Amino acid sequence: MTLIQDRPEEHLVHEPVLMEIVPGPRPRGLVKYITSTDHKQIGLNYLVTSFIGFLFAGLLAEGIRTQLIVPNNHFVTESVYNQLFTMHGTIMLFVFLGPFAFAGLGNYLIPLMIGAPDMAFPRFNNLSYWLYLGGFLVMSCGFLTNNGAANFGWFGYAPLTEAIHSPGPGADMWIIGVALTGFSGIFTAVNIITTIFTLRAPGMVMFRMPVFVWNQLVTMFLLLLAFPVLTAAFALLWIDRHLDGHFYDPTHGGQPILWQNLFWFFGHPEVYILALPYFGIVTEVLATMSKKPVFGYKGMIGATLSIGALSMGVWAHHMYTTGAVLLPFFAALSLLIAVPTGIKFFNWIGTMWRGTITLNTAFLFCCGFLVMFLFGGITGIILAQPVLDFQLHNTYFIVAHFHYVMFGGSAFAGLGGIYYWYPKMTGRMMDERLGKLSFLVLLIGFNLCFFPQHDLGLRGMPRRIETYNAGMGWNFLNMISSIGAYIAGIGVLLTVINLFYSYRRGQIAGDNPWDGQTLEWACSSPPPDHNFEALPPIRSERPVWDANHPDQLTKVGH
Amino acid sequence: MRAVETHLLGKTNFGSPGGVTTQDHYVRQLWHITYVFAVPIGLIVLGGIVWCMIRYRVRPGHDRTPSQFQYHIPIEATYTIVPLVIVAIVFGYMYNAENHVDAIAKNPAVAITVEGFQWGWRFTYPNGHEEVGTVANELDINSNDNLPVLFMPAGETVQLHLVSDDVIHTFYVPEFLFQRDLIPGINNVVDFNVIKPGLYSGQCNNICGVYHAYMRFLVQVMPVAEYNAWYAQQPAGSITTAGVPAQS
Repeated sequence: MTLIQDRPEEHLVHEPVLMEIVPGPRPRGLVKYITSTDHKQIGLNYLVTSFIGFLFAGLLAEGIRTQLIVPNNHFVTESVYNQLFTMHGTIMLFVFLGPFAFAGLGNYLIPLMIGAPDMAFPRFNNLSYWLYLGGFLVMSCGFLTNNGAANFGWFGYAPLTEAIHSPGPGADMWIIGVALTGFSGIFTAVNIITTIFTLRAPGMVMFRMPVFVWNQLVTMFLLLLAFPVLTAAFALLWIDRHLDGHFYDPTHGGQPILWQNLFWFFGHPEVYILALPYFGIVTEVLATMSKKPVFGYKGMIGATLSIGALSMGVWAHHMYTTGAVLLPFFAALSLLIAVPTGIKFFNWIGTMWRGTITLNTAFLFCCGFLVMFLFGGITGIILAQPVLDFQLHNTYFIVAHFHYVMFGGSAFAGLGGIYYWYPKMTGRMMDERLGKLSFLVLLIGFNLCFFPQHDLGLRGMPRRIETYNAGMGWNFLNMISSIGAYIAGIGVLLTVINLFYSYRRGQIAGDNPWDGQTLEWACSSPPPDHNFEALPPIRSERPVWDANHPDQLTKVGH
Repeated sequence: MRAVETHLLGKTNFGSPGGVTTQDHYVRQLWHITYVFAVPIGLIVLGGIVWCMIRYRVRPGHDRTPSQFQYHIPIEATYTIVPLVIVAIVFGYMYNAENHVDAIAKNPAVAITVEGFQWGWRFTYPNGHEEVGTVANELDINSNDNLPVLFMPAGETVQLHLVSDDVIHTFYVPEFLFQRDLIPGINNVVDFNVIKPGLYSGQCNNICGVYHAYMRFLVQVMPVAEYNAWYAQQPAGSITTAGVPAQS
């Protein structure tokens, strides 16, 4: 913990301090990747690994859409199809969406944004990453076993997951893999919460932290509340499968509904674990690109806190059709989440209002997030009402809804975050023309893929069916949806190409290419070991803006 | 509001099949209420986003630093309180609809036990007659000939007891605008009053293993006299298996 005491107290932003902090040769390449405890290296490890997970799970999704492109198709067998959608969901949620934001961007950016030299527990941080990578590999290697990977859907409803219904090591590897990523998440949460509470720079009081950091903080508390429950539920399942337990086994007095309650008690906070950090990305990008402070900064934080609180009490809205939950209670809380989410939307508009908006790729992806998350939110209000959920539950309407929230919402914001912070991480700008093309192709492909699925759901097409009758009126919409999936895949590939291309050929970025507002833009690109040689004075939530625009200081208080 | 409902939205089904049960009224009403609030709010927010992108984008030669305003308490309070009121109104309608949709009659005209299993359906009538269909006879997804059929009278309250012995299945008929899970250990009971006779297709709506997609069934809703005539012909305890010729 000597890290804190070494740090200079207050300096002006441009004061050069040319001092090598760490003596001796530094490990490079693979050795650095394996051994580093630097939060930036670990953050990059997470970002790269989770993006590989995104591409892998995306490939599985293309398999799903290929199977469904025409009725009575035989692209894959029933069992393989079930493995495809199970692992698509599992990898997207446990390997990509969550860790990309809370572990990848969180690790990289939180110490920078609060003016800390590293995370509070650097080695613990390294351990988290290895548990995470292990989890990813274990669950994916299920495909190599003779019965194939897990094939019962990403929320694995008991008793289908019991050994008698799903024999074979694929399901076990799914349990172990998810549990490992869960432990990784818990450790990361402990680390980040401690970092935020103890390692903030002088002057960085809680209400001067960027909204991104606030959202990460709330996310981490949700993670601490939710993931242990998941791990416990998985442990019980393991006991059921291997030690003759009967927790979820109805033939011996177990309760399948117990699994659903435990799983969704984790599962709904998880949805906000996958959304809140992305809200933070969007907030930072919109404010920077509009050259404005975040409108209603404190209201924004209040909204984040209330979303976090409400999200702990809405898990049973995934279980309306079980007939075993108190409908009005969960419906009321679910509908209430619309209020803080609405506050965020109006604050985002207020942030852009009368600003000076640079329409670059990062901003466009975040606007894509706004529009599609808005639509996903409105369908969410429909689904929050049990009577309408009775009609739409487990149909393609649900699939469309959560892809608008998770893909059109979170993943778009994540891509915006990549374009926004790539210069900080590599020192080079990403190619704007390729980026805008990627955005356009992805936007068109995404909407072609998922908008028709609302209609499919209203026409009664269940999710997770491997094939369908040609006479149901679903053929055309499925065809459109599959074509959209291919186009969206091309859009993602364009960004992948851009990542590699810009790594060597991109324009040199400089320390602060966007006229950024928060502390990460005060250090070099990429930041040196232990981050800061000097910090600007922190008088508001935008220290770098205040240092660069002395005539336009952020007003403190209101 | 009612005028808006009937004139603008009254005839649309929002893409879904028109409901054929008495519950349709409540489901439709809830769709209307949600649309009346969601569409204008959605358009306002969308308009705000698009307006900002177009109106305030940087144009060449326009290099101004915008005013750094950050708070406006009256506006912030408005967009906190108004949504709260709207949520309360929507919840009120929803609560009312839910009480009607989930209501269980004390004396239903017919009570049928619906059993789902891997992978098929068994419909058991009060006299012990069973209509059964299994995946073994249904593997041709494009044929509806060998599906099990649930026979129901129209215009009467039919009570379904939903049970499962292996894994979780879901009884789902899109035209009923309703579904309910079949969970081992939980006895779910639902009531339907189908107004419109006809043949409807239904399907298991919860992943239940390899042949989930093939776990389909048909619902034949008949006028009461016709149903009674059909029911009278079924010997007590007899079993009709879909796709298998009746044994003499």
